Amino acid sequence: MLRPEDRLGLLAFLKDRFGMAPSSFEAYHIYAFKRQAFLFRRQPGKIDFPKSSFVRCGLPFMRLVAGYLKPTTVFLQRFGHLAWKNILHLDKAQIGRLCLEGEIDLGLESIDAQEIETPGYIIIKTGEYILGAGLILDNSRILCRFPKAMRQALVHINDL
Amino acid sequence: MDKFSLFLADYKGLIPDFNGYLQGLKRPLPLYYRINTLKIGTEEAKSLLRSEGIWFEETCFEELVLVKNHDPPPSPVLSYHLGYIYPQALSSCLPVKALDPKPHERLLDLCAAPGGKATHLAQTMKDMGLIVANDRKLGRITALMANIKRMGITNTVVTQARGEHFTWGHKFDKVIVDAPCSGIGRYRMDETGHIRHMKPGKTDLPAIQKGLITKGFDLLRSGGIMVYSTCTLNVEENEEVVHYLLQKRRAKLTPWDPPVPWSPGITRFKEKEYDKGVGLARRFYPHKIHSVGFFLARVVKA
Repeated sequence: MLRPEDRLGLLAFLKDRFGMAPSSFEAYHIYAFKRQAFLFRRQPGKIDFPKSSFVRCGLPFMRLVAGYLKPTTVFLQRFGHLAWKNILHLDKAQIGRLCLEGEIDLGLESIDAQEIETPGYIIIKTGEYILGAGLILDNSRILCRFPKAMRQALVHINDL
Repeated sequence: MDKFSLFLADYKGLIPDFNGYLQGLKRPLPLYYRINTLKIGTEEAKSLLRSEGIWFEETCFEELVLVKNHDPPPSPVLSYHLGYIYPQALSSCLPVKALDPKPHERLLDLCAAPGGKATHLAQTMKDMGLIVANDRKLGRITALMANIKRMGITNTVVTQARGEHFTWGHKFDKVIVDAPCSGIGRYRMDETGHIRHMKPGKTDLPAIQKGLITKGFDLLRSGGIMVYSTCTLNVEENEEVVHYLLQKRRAKLTPWDPPVPWSPGITRFKEKEYDKGVGLARRFYPHKIHSVGFFLARVVKA
């Protein structure tokens, strides 16, 4: 399990970057394996994981990537509704282009209009649906951070 | 005579509306989507599916829809990649319905991969309590973990062990043993009359199934409930396995009224007579439920 100070650090990041209240995660333990943290539902009693057969518990939550904390796509899809800032809205044509080319430049005006703080990770939304994470660099360049299979599938989202 | 011809000869008198069964083999397996209510409301998901070109019919389960598009149906890319749906046969929903899991319970899915039942358990429990999802093979564990992630589940521990040798520090409130089987319930006939979905191999499945059902039962707390299920219609893999448990342990079958047509467990087959309690098991024939043929027994630990 994560040390209390590390847990506070992760939750502080979510609050600073996305406005997610730390209290929203009180019902969860945070475990860390290597460079990845997992969100695991708190249990009423103690659990002794069997060492020989244990593989994983909970939902992949965050990774440390090149000095940045990166929230996972699956975490944002489930808990992204708790965020209220650094959410980038893209239309389907923009999503298709982002998935095809891996990055798009939206221009400063568009980024400023959506009050995105740069650089750092963002939540990408289309319509009412949270798709996953993106990374914004150089003020207006958006890098796609969706899983590969999802990215390939969404290339033609505009035709659907 | 091949394996399936032998099966037909043995079961001709046991399968209700046998001609209907044979005709049903010529139709493709229907496609169902289970809506992941952890992430989206059923009505919202249905609306998204419609917008993705999926025509569907409601089923007896609110969270399950039957896809009606002609073969092949369009791919609901957004619904799938956002973890809003899980392609799952109606029959595969039955063990979770029979088990009726509650939030805060501790559950074990002994043969969990690729995760259809484990993720269905999690959404029924509102992602609370504990699910231990175990499977034996690494490749299958990978698929299990991918599905748990895609569905956004936090209350599940994944373990890799042979089910017969699985150990845990405490007992479980409920256990699912969806055992590996010959898969006769999935059989379909192609245009040339060949059977599709037939599994090769000469594994002694009943021996494995007996080991799994006994282990699953031993991991139950007193008063706990276990569901044993397979997607085969073969008595040796179903009633005979349950009969074995009733002989070896203080187990009792409990009745369950499924919301789809069913037949009782078979208590006499090829001059063998099984414990009368086995009659409380449920058989689901593919032509009666418009899905995969299935067997299910609900067992309580005295």
